[in-house]
Amino acid sequence: MFRLAVKSVKHNPKRLVLTAVAVALGVALAATTFTLTNALSSGFTKLFEEIYAGTDVIVEADPDADPADEDPFAATESLFSHADVEDVAAVDGVASAWGGRQVMGSVLAADFEPTNDVMAGGGPPSQLFNWAGDPRVDQATLVEGDGPTADDEIVLDLDAAPRLGYAIGDTVSVATEAGVEEFTLVGLVRFGESNSLQGATLGYMTDARSAAINGDDGYEQVSVIVEDGADQDAVAEAIGAILPPDTRAITGEAKAAEQTEQFDELLQYIDIFAIAFALIALFVGAYIIVNTFRIIVTQRTREFGLLRAIGVSGRQLRTMILLEALVVAVVSSTIGIALGYLGALGLSTLVEAFSGDIFGTVTLPIDAVLWGYGLGALVTIIAAIMPAIHASTISPMEALRESATESKKPLRLRNVVGGALTLLGVLAIVAGLYLGIEKPYIPVGAGAMILIIGVTLLAAQVLVPLAYGLKATLTRVFRVDGKLAANNIHREPRRSANTAAALMIGVMLLALVATFTESMKSLVTEQFKGNSADFFVFTSQGAIPEGAIEVIEGEDGVAYVTSTGLGTVLVDGATTNVGVIDPETADLAFDYNNEPDFDQMDGGAFIDPSMVEAGFEVGDDITVEGPEGSATLTITGKYLNEGDAQVWVDEDTGHELLGDYPIAQSMVVLDEGVDATAAQDQILEALAVDYPLVVLQSPGEFEQLANQFIDLLLGIISAMLGAALIIALLGVANTLLLSVTERTREIGLLRAVGVRRRSIRRMIRIESMVMAVFGTVLGMILGVGLGAALVRALEDFGFTTITIPWVWLLIYTIAAALAGVLAAVWPARRAAKLDILQAIAFDG
Amino acid sequence: MTTTSTVTIAASMRGGTKDYGSGDAAVRALDGLDVDIAQSEFTAIMGPSGSGKSTLLHTLAGLDRLTAGESWIGEQQITGLSEDKITQVRRDKIGFVFQAFNLIPSLSARENITLPLDIAGRDVDPQWFEEIIAILGLGDRLTHLPAELSGGQQQRVAVARALVARPELIFADEPSGNLDSRSGAELLGFMRRAVKEFGQTIVMVTHDPTAASYSDRVLFLADGRIVDEMREPTADRVLDRMKQMGH
Ligand SMILES: Nc1ncnc2c1ncn2[C@@H]1O[C@H](COP(=O)(O)OP(=O)(O)O)[C@@H](O)[C@H]1O
Ligand SMILES: [Mg+2]
Repeated sequence: MFRLAVKSVKHNPKRLVLTAVAVALGVALAATTFTLTNALSSGFTKLFEEIYAGTDVIVEADPDADPADEDPFAATESLFSHADVEDVAAVDGVASAWGGRQVMGSVLAADFEPTNDVMAGGGPPSQLFNWAGDPRVDQATLVEGDGPTADDEIVLDLDAAPRLGYAIGDTVSVATEAGVEEFTLVGLVRFGESNSLQGATLGYMTDARSAAINGDDGYEQVSVIVEDGADQDAVAEAIGAILPPDTRAITGEAKAAEQTEQFDELLQYIDIFAIAFALIALFVGAYIIVNTFRIIVTQRTREFGLLRAIGVSGRQLRTMILLEALVVAVVSSTIGIALGYLGALGLSTLVEAFSGDIFGTVTLPIDAVLWGYGLGALVTIIAAIMPAIHASTISPMEALRESATESKKPLRLRNVVGGALTLLGVLAIVAGLYLGIEKPYIPVGAGAMILIIGVTLLAAQVLVPLAYGLKATLTRVFRVDGKLAANNIHREPRRSANTAAALMIGVMLLALVATFTESMKSLVTEQFKGNSADFFVFTSQGAIPEGAIEVIEGEDGVAYVTSTGLGTVLVDGATTNVGVIDPETADLAFDYNNEPDFDQMDGGAFIDPSMVEAGFEVGDDITVEGPEGSATLTITGKYLNEGDAQVWVDEDTGHELLGDYPIAQSMVVLDEGVDATAAQDQILEALAVDYPLVVLQSPGEFEQLANQFIDLLLGIISAMLGAALIIALLGVANTLLLSVTERTREIGLLRAVGVRRRSIRRMIRIESMVMAVFGTVLGMILGVGLGAALVRALEDFGFTTITIPWVWLLIYTIAAALAGVLAAVWPARRAAKLDILQAIAFDG
Repeated sequence: MTTTSTVTIAASMRGGTKDYGSGDAAVRALDGLDVDIAQSEFTAIMGPSGSGKSTLLHTLAGLDRLTAGESWIGEQQITGLSEDKITQVRRDKIGFVFQAFNLIPSLSARENITLPLDIAGRDVDPQWFEEIIAILGLGDRLTHLPAELSGGQQQRVAVARALVARPELIFADEPSGNLDSRSGAELLGFMRRAVKEFGQTIVMVTHDPTAASYSDRVLFLADGRIVDEMREPTADRVLDRMKQMGH
């Protein structure tokens, strides 16, 4: 049987080419991602190893500390005092201990000009530290000049200095939260062995200067070098014994391994994401496989009948078809894996050209191979099962029948099953979206799959009257060619429906995403409607500096600035995010969705819907504990959307609980009658002195920016869905190609009675276009429907209006029609090229 | 059945009835037909078009089921067997030659010939294989695909395939129907040799008196019944008989 299966695949490989391409594309998508994440992993493993290479033991905050412990805010503070460092140094076996701290700041390029572009200060961030002068601690070696010894001196890594336009002796500007600090560049350092910093800027300054900028002379971690011959684990344990609570000592090796592990976990999410898209692509591919094998089974009815006559059992026939599918799967998965590897190689080269070598060696990981073959084989076999069962029911008598077309079974069973599945799918989706199930994406995802299959089955029924209905129009416009095309579509409604459905899936997902993102844009627009702020304050790095707000407030024409701060507190013992606002001005600048107005806060707290769900009510008293103090607050109102924080308090309470808190958002309101554009320039100029990375955006600019991000999201997802769409188009081409082969005799006859080549081509083209547009329209209906359901389900997040993306829908329809023409090129050429006499003599 | 006790029966049917369709469109293709096929004989079935020749062949071979009546292959009763069992009987005891489309297009001539053995998982007897190939003159064609063979060659490959597993019975439905007279004569000559030299049992449907003259015994069919039979036929006698039947 196996030999017969292989022979059969080899005998007529052409009819399987497009099937193989479809499987290969899906597999390649998965293989590329696996290869890339593997390369990323190996690149970052090397980086982590270098970072912790020289340090024997690291003392730091314990990530496993119970957040509900006595001091849940430990991580936000400097952990170690000078005394702590000295204690660590005194532990047996410790050669030296060095307290390390990071300075928040950006090294500005020599030719930096403040602009109002939020993205300008972006790019890889700066990593600034206090300089120990010991390469084992700093992880950097001085390669030119001197280390920073005076407080106005700085060293930068040897790649960053020329990139930013600095040479030794130059004055270097660093934007910090406290303003712009100036240094003299005195030396260049190399990070690890090869300075592979993934594009970031590395710099060091003196310990005193870093403490001054941070406004805190504590340390975040202590790096320990052990004495020669001492056991690192034993020393780590000894240090652990004298440490303050919620901190730990860990060997450099273990730390590197831990970071690698964490990073790999992160990469796993990327892999899962990629598998999801690969599955979508393969799901679409499965439709092609179903169609291909269906057609092959039909074409080979007589061959199968013959085999049955000479003693092959139905089961053996089924096995044979599945084996053929397996052969296709293995060949195409192999091609897909190879393609995926090449794709990863190309992509990594491309990315590295822009952002430095972030990938380790690009090798084909075993994961890529396993997943590649696994997915490829699974999808192909599952898709081939139905046609295989169909083949096994062929009776030996069919060997002797003349014609080889699919049996005209009524569609009743198909409709019943399709209807049931459609209903089931809709129910699962509705349940997932509205019943507040724990993992809603599981019923929603499964429901969507079931719905798609259901609709595919029903589509065959829709196609028949549709084709009849279109016949008159097509005949009027395209005469005989149109009539023949319409006939062909309803002649094999199952096949046409499957073909259209492959496209339907891709378009459905596109329409869904478009509906969702367009509704998101409406949400943004909606939010700005009730807005009376003239500007939003942004910074490209970290929190908005307090000083910058003071500068803005000091400018002429500024009425007031209202800010939102964020922090973490314990509410009745549970870790909770708290937002800090100015109740007097917040509602004036922005139409928040709250009840009553914020100025009724009255020193109390507002709670969001999740707190209401947790059982809190207006009028209750809550105990709020922050790192700086605690308070008992009365709940005075509700904030009606889900947001960044669950509890909102006023600025006095915020300071009492949190001390200094980072500002997440600030809005500027100008005096009546002040020209906004002039005011914006004037404020920016004032900010440029000390806070060059802080910019102002008018609501219009902000909205545009937000929309740009949304469009970017749409673009990325569309690109990922591209593979599925290409596969769907291959499906259209594939079906047409196979049915051209099947209709060889008929086409020959048409040609014999005088139909021109052009007409034959046009007939195929019309058939293709009708199927493509039909699939697209179905996909759009489903996609918009699902998108709307999704938006409705997210009402809590502020989604109020469902926006139907008419422009996109129009674009998709036109694109589908064009794609239909494109997909028909090859089949149409094949059909038109058929030699009349050969075609008539053609034997099944 | 009668006095000659030396004759062994290779296949038989009693009261064989086959109806197609139902109601107004019902057609009775076989009408309570009795027949015995003797072993090592070349039996031809003749009759006008639509008389039920193919139906008789198919039901006798277990390709199709009788509506009523019973049939046997050798000792084995096949009416009432499950589809899987019938398939097994076909595989182990029966060979087929059809009028056309006898070969699997993706397999070479040699592979087509050995296909029944491959399916049954049996080894090819190389001597027997060589003998068949030599008789049928296929030696230099074995590696060719069916599409590369002439119609006569394709039918000879089909006969070789039917012979290779040494089945108890070979059924052939107008095997020479698609061939020119020379290729047809060659093919029928081979089939006759298989009967005479190897003791093969063959049942052949034909409407050609010349083809029937190669056989040992001709059964004449009309309206789903056997109306006559003839031993040691010649083409002329068969033709006369057919004319009597109003053909
Ligand atoms: N599959 C079928 N469905 C309906 N009627 C059939 C079928 N096969 C044969 N018949 C009918 O049965 C009768 C006998 O057919 P057949 O055995 O093929 O005759 P022959 O081979 O002698 O020409 C004819 O009337 C034919 O129309
Ligand atoms: Mg017949």
